[in-house]
Amino acid sequence: MDIVVPIKMVPDLVEELEIDSEGRDLDRSSLKLRISEWDEQAVEEALLLRDKHGARVTVIALDTGDVDETLFTCLAKGADRAIKLLGGEAAQGSSRATASVLAKALKGIPHDLVLTGVQAVDDRDGQVAVFLAEALGLPHVSVVSGVEPAGPNAVVARQEYAGGVMAEFEVDLPCVLGIQAAREAPRYAPVSRVRQAMKTLKLEAAAAAAPDAGAGSTVRRLAKPDAGGRAEILEGSPEEVAEKLYAILKGKGLVKS
Amino acid sequence: MTDAIAPAREVFRNLGTPAVALFYLLGALAIAIFCWGAWARIRKYRRGRRSPRLRLAGARLLHGLTAIASHSTLRKRNASTGLAHFAIFWGFVVLFIGTLIIMIDYDMVRLVDPAWRFWRGAFYLWYSLALDVMGVAFLVGLAVLMARRWGARPAALDYTRPDRAADSYSRRGYLRDDALFAWLLLLIGLTGYLVEGARIAADRPPFETWSLVGWQLANAFDAAGLSRRAANALHWWSWWGHAVLALGFVAYLPYSKAVHILVDLANLLVHDEAAGRRLPAPVEGAASAGYATLADFTWKELLDLDACTKCGRCHVACPARAAGAPLSPRDLILGLREHAEDRLGGLSLLRETRPAANDGGDALIGPVVRPETLWACTTCLACVEACPVGIEHVPLIVQLRRKLVEDGTMDPTLQDALQHLDRYGNSFGQSERTRAKWTQGLPFRIKDARRDEVEYLWFVGDYASYNPRVQEVSRAVARVLRRAGVDFGILYEAERNAGNDVRRVGEEGLFEKLAEQNMKALAKCRFKAILTTDPHSYNTLKNEYPALGLSQPVVHYSELLADLLRSGRLTVAKPAGAAVTYHDPCYLGRYNGVFDAPREVLGRIGARLTEMGRCRDNSFCCGAGGGRIWMDDSGQEERPSVNRIREAVGLGSVQYFVVACPKDVTMYEDAVKTSGQEGRIVVRDLAELVEEAV
Ligand code: SF4
Ligand code: SF4
Repeated sequence: MDIVVPIKMVPDLVEELEIDSEGRDLDRSSLKLRISEWDEQAVEEALLLRDKHGARVTVIALDTGDVDETLFTCLAKGADRAIKLLGGEAAQGSSRATASVLAKALKGIPHDLVLTGVQAVDDRDGQVAVFLAEALGLPHVSVVSGVEPAGPNAVVARQEYAGGVMAEFEVDLPCVLGIQAAREAPRYAPVSRVRQAMKTLKLEAAAAAAPDAGAGSTVRRLAKPDAGGRAEILEGSPEEVAEKLYAILKGKGLVKS
Repeated sequence: MTDAIAPAREVFRNLGTPAVALFYLLGALAIAIFCWGAWARIRKYRRGRRSPRLRLAGARLLHGLTAIASHSTLRKRNASTGLAHFAIFWGFVVLFIGTLIIMIDYDMVRLVDPAWRFWRGAFYLWYSLALDVMGVAFLVGLAVLMARRWGARPAALDYTRPDRAADSYSRRGYLRDDALFAWLLLLIGLTGYLVEGARIAADRPPFETWSLVGWQLANAFDAAGLSRRAANALHWWSWWGHAVLALGFVAYLPYSKAVHILVDLANLLVHDEAAGRRLPAPVEGAASAGYATLADFTWKELLDLDACTKCGRCHVACPARAAGAPLSPRDLILGLREHAEDRLGGLSLLRETRPAANDGGDALIGPVVRPETLWACTTCLACVEACPVGIEHVPLIVQLRRKLVEDGTMDPTLQDALQHLDRYGNSFGQSERTRAKWTQGLPFRIKDARRDEVEYLWFVGDYASYNPRVQEVSRAVARVLRRAGVDFGILYEAERNAGNDVRRVGEEGLFEKLAEQNMKALAKCRFKAILTTDPHSYNTLKNEYPALGLSQPVVHYSELLADLLRSGRLTVAKPAGAAVTYHDPCYLGRYNGVFDAPREVLGRIGARLTEMGRCRDNSFCCGAGGGRIWMDDSGQEERPSVNRIREAVGLGSVQYFVVACPKDVTMYEDAVKTSGQEGRIVVRDLAELVEEAV
């Protein structure tokens, strides 16, 4: 089985985020990027499937800067191939455009199962997986947390709902799944192995095709949220605090009688 | 055969030729059995990886020999036990040399030319005196240790394993081996005197008054009415008893705990004083970054396994064991020894037995050592420091951890910390750009060592940079240094975690990366010395960075503060007067021997110091080292830090618990809070007290 995992780099929220002078995007010059955490889950799920059932795992990313170390980390964790798509900046920031670029790239890459993060912190819509499935004409399940093979031509994708309810879908291969969480926490890549990979392995590079879909939406304004400044700390014994809280909620008409 | 007047004795007195022949036959047999066992052990060590320890031993031969001869490692903190063993050791040595002398004189020199024999006359008299006196020392020492072992029953000699279920192993073999060993020695000593006493009673050579004990024994036999004939019979029986026991001992030695006589001599000579302080690089070209099987062990590490006498000193010193963790450094070594005997031979006869055989193959982690055991270690070095025979537990634990890291077998919290360290250079997962934010609370700007030349380059470290409570301490240090007119600067955003604990976690690749980043930053700066408040950074900068090219000295702030107070650059305006106790951080004290500087500082600022029972090199770890601070400690019965605060509160009227390590500030403030000791004792950093006093 060939598993392909498209990943992307997102701004690291540990750093202070700045908005650029036009007010429609982040100031990318001061950004530090990291792999989207849902994509990290997708990589882990692919590697778990490979470890247990055998498969070839290919990780693919648009080269939107700083992606090399992330791809080498995927190789160090056990991915078989890592491909970066050069010149895909035009698609950045749009799920539809990204999906169309990826779909074209996947034409040349064997894929039985495509796993990708269900969303990312900088998404507007969180629909790369949906659009990708559409562009490839493949079945799709979203918010998946756990994949198991079901015979040679299908997988079972698991979804978890609130309240401990679970659903399982049998999906024909090839298919695209949006991954919410892997069955296990993403594995550790020892630094020496990552550095070894950087020294001895090569990333494959391919040119990104031009996106043939527009973004579908445009950013009008990006701004930091106004600081609330309306916090009120209730003090006193638990009974008094409860009393005050009740009065406030009642005053706002949030509780009846 | 001998001159009638000259003092001497016949070697095979009272024995016919067949008996003598039988004795030689038995002797040859015993030696053959000994050689076979010794060879099996040597063959085992020869399978170990190469290690340049012999060269090291050559360089410090005198040191090693002195340690052995003076029993310094055995007497340390266990004066009476050490002294008793000292008596046994020297008694044994003298008795053994005595036997050798007879052998050389009778079996060699006599055969060459009887006229050259020297075991007679004045030499014989002094010989008799020495052996009789040292024999007493030997027996008294034995009696003391036997009374300790079976009378006082100290906790150190309880062989219960904290890392295994009680029904999964039996150590009755160990107990039998102990008893066999002790009684054999005792009986050999006693029968020796019996032989002598009976001979003197039968022959009464007047010069034998030199044999103090034997002569008195002969008097006792006379008083009891023993006839000459009976004395001769007694001599015959006790002679054979003595001979069979002694030869039996020779044969039994390499198959029992008696082998420690030989192995531990060697082990102490090849012991590396820097063990743990400077960790070995991973094996070049090895398939795994850490130790996966015994094939990865050096010969010294295999020797370590056999060297353990089960004295339990490491076992009682270990903070992890005290906290109820499944780790005992003793049992780590013994478990590996059993496995090594299974796989590589060199067997002990009386061993640990298990109802189920280990079917885990050659793998060490899992069947032989549990991951939880390895992760429990705080790398406090108390075991290495306590071990009287030079066993090096900590480097071994780190080698095994390297394998765990490679396999990704670790706490999720540790994995997060390592990923943060890799990405941001600090374990807090905060932006590296905010590393020097703590300086914003200062009324002056600290020099940027990347731009300006400084005398002291202050390597701040993670906790002192990012932890809000420790930031206060860092600012206090900065103010004090400024006040004393010290020329110092910091690396600002260019500093990374120094990697001491990263290395001890077993993440060698990350250590290398951090160290390279730091060295790159340091290489661009001009400074005379590195200053740090963090003992962990101090250790690796001082002991491990020189291999990466760091040539400047490394100074702990307690050392610099002591200097400043001594030289009058800081003057005490308001003497502290407070009653304090001081906690020696493992990485400052035990690791690097800085005990006096912080105490001098306390003395000079007028604090009244009361020592805790476990102080200086016997200090008790706070539980944070070796990466433990990044792991979950909820499973512990009593956290080491809480144990320690209990000890300090137990001193009575101590106001302040003084620390000299950023991690200690947070560890102990937390321990004071969670153990409900607030109001009884307050945790203060050394620098805070100094700032108040000057
Ligand atoms: S270093 Fe400390 S915690 Fe680790 S085994 Fe030795 S005594 Fe125990
Ligand atoms: S390792 Fe050393 S200190 Fe520990 S029990 Fe063995 S001999 Fe004693």
